Amino acid sequence: MKAVKKPTARDFILFVLLIFISLLFLYPILFALQSAFKSNGEILKNPIALPTTFYVQNFKDLFEQSDFFTAIVHSVCLTVVSELLIILIVPMAAYAIDRRPGRFTGLLYTFFLAGMMVPFHLYMFPLFKEMKFFHIFGTMAGPVVSYIAGSVSFGTLLYCSFLKTVPLEIEEAAKIDGCTPFMTFWRVTFPLLGPCTGSMVILNGLGIWNDYLMPYLVLPSGKAKTITVEIASFVGQYTARWDIVFAGTIISIVPALIIFIMFQKYFVKGITAGGAKG
Amino acid sequence: MKMKHKRKVDTVALAFVAPALLLYVLFVILPTVSSFYYSLTSWDGISPIIHFIGLANYREIFTSARFGNALINTVILTVFISVFENALALILALAVDNVHWGKNVFRSVLYLPVLISGIVSGFIWKIMYNYNFGAINSFLKNVGLGNYTQDWLGNTKITLIMIGVVLVWKGAGYYMIIYLAGLQSVSTDVIEAAQIDGAGPAQRFRHITLPLISGTFTINFTLSLINGLKVFDQISVMTDGGPGFTSETIVYLLYKVGFNEGRQGFGTAVGVVLLFIIIVLNTLQQKFLRSREVQI
Repeated sequence: MKAVKKPTARDFILFVLLIFISLLFLYPILFALQSAFKSNGEILKNPIALPTTFYVQNFKDLFEQSDFFTAIVHSVCLTVVSELLIILIVPMAAYAIDRRPGRFTGLLYTFFLAGMMVPFHLYMFPLFKEMKFFHIFGTMAGPVVSYIAGSVSFGTLLYCSFLKTVPLEIEEAAKIDGCTPFMTFWRVTFPLLGPCTGSMVILNGLGIWNDYLMPYLVLPSGKAKTITVEIASFVGQYTARWDIVFAGTIISIVPALIIFIMFQKYFVKGITAGGAKG
Repeated sequence: MKMKHKRKVDTVALAFVAPALLLYVLFVILPTVSSFYYSLTSWDGISPIIHFIGLANYREIFTSARFGNALINTVILTVFISVFENALALILALAVDNVHWGKNVFRSVLYLPVLISGIVSGFIWKIMYNYNFGAINSFLKNVGLGNYTQDWLGNTKITLIMIGVVLVWKGAGYYMIIYLAGLQSVSTDVIEAAQIDGAGPAQRFRHITLPLISGTFTINFTLSLINGLKVFDQISVMTDGGPGFTSETIVYLLYKVGFNEGRQGFGTAVGVVLLFIIIVLNTLQQKFLRSREVQI
């Protein structure tokens, strides 16, 4: 417990300074928000003025003039399906690595973590060729399998460091009661990994939700792809209709914002665990 | 018999890791390893016939002016991002850690830009930077600093820095969280002891806090360097590598030669060089961290 101390003049200065910095940090987001509710003419005439009326034509135009609805469905599907499969696959692997130490699992840990160094840009060309070979290029399955494969490195790091804090006794008791290792993991250990799973889903899911290059290059052209890809293509296409792009921007930010507000502590935990080990 | 027993494979472990291992090998390791092979070819990305050309791609990389330009741009952008991101993140962490009211609110607000996608952040800033209709020039005119208005992304002297500003804004909150965790791990006992011994706030920071969070600093700096090397989305939406080649980085060059110019063999070779740079940075970090540990 910290002793309660009386606020000093320094506290006031720091507080005011932080408010000022926070407003500066928030400004670009507020700028996008206010522009989404202004007509194009208003944006061009006075970009920093607040909207005068509650103007929603931009959002109507966005859905009428483009297939933005499909893009939203794609973004949601890619994120949800990938995360479900990641949670089915990655914690199990980390569990075996942490709980069954041996030469095989020791090597595997290093092997998995080495992937954190490999940039996606290096292997994307051969990856796409491989996807064509498996006939998953141009389908949702392409990005999904790559997202899962790409999450193994960070996921192993995160789960292994968390597993060290989960006591072994309960697992041993389950084993004595005749539980198979598979059941022990899913029934006993996995529920205890909740906070770690929270961090994993949120940080990794945000990456997928915001990803651009993979869906842009892998999903079939001529149709809407994902929210991020649609926004990028609007920037090129509707050079004169910033209002529409801003409306799309808000639709992209709001879900991330809601998830962040609801699950803030998982963000902090995941980032610090990832940072602690580099 | 005993020998056999020793070599027994842990089948349970194998079963648990099998799905992850399979996907990881198929969709990360295999394409990575085969990219070393493709980097030795003149593959265009489409035709089934692939010609082996030895080290010609690498020779071209190290002699072409375009790669040299991309390398310099990457160094400028990456160093700018890492230095300012870390300086800002550390200052913010110290401020948030010491603020009397609303610590959690400030932490959340400063983290918000991290949530935004690279494309969206690039778009928002591109419009703010716009010469005729942008918020920044409009603001400068309103406060009587009209002389300072300029084409922020079009002025080739500052294009890279302007892109860097977006990345610093977007990334500082992330590193701030890691610094905050580092600061919170510094025991208050040590600080109080120093206080009793008569050390002022500046001295306490310089001689106690700073050495104790040097590990965090090394990790953050390396992380931000590696992330800086991989910047792509903002460049794509803000400048497309331009004007001319002024904002073409290694990653952007890799993408452009691969997809727009149909030279995926060459692009992959550029990727291999990038991987080499990342491995060197990581090794340096490990060495540095270890030498620090010995000191403490």
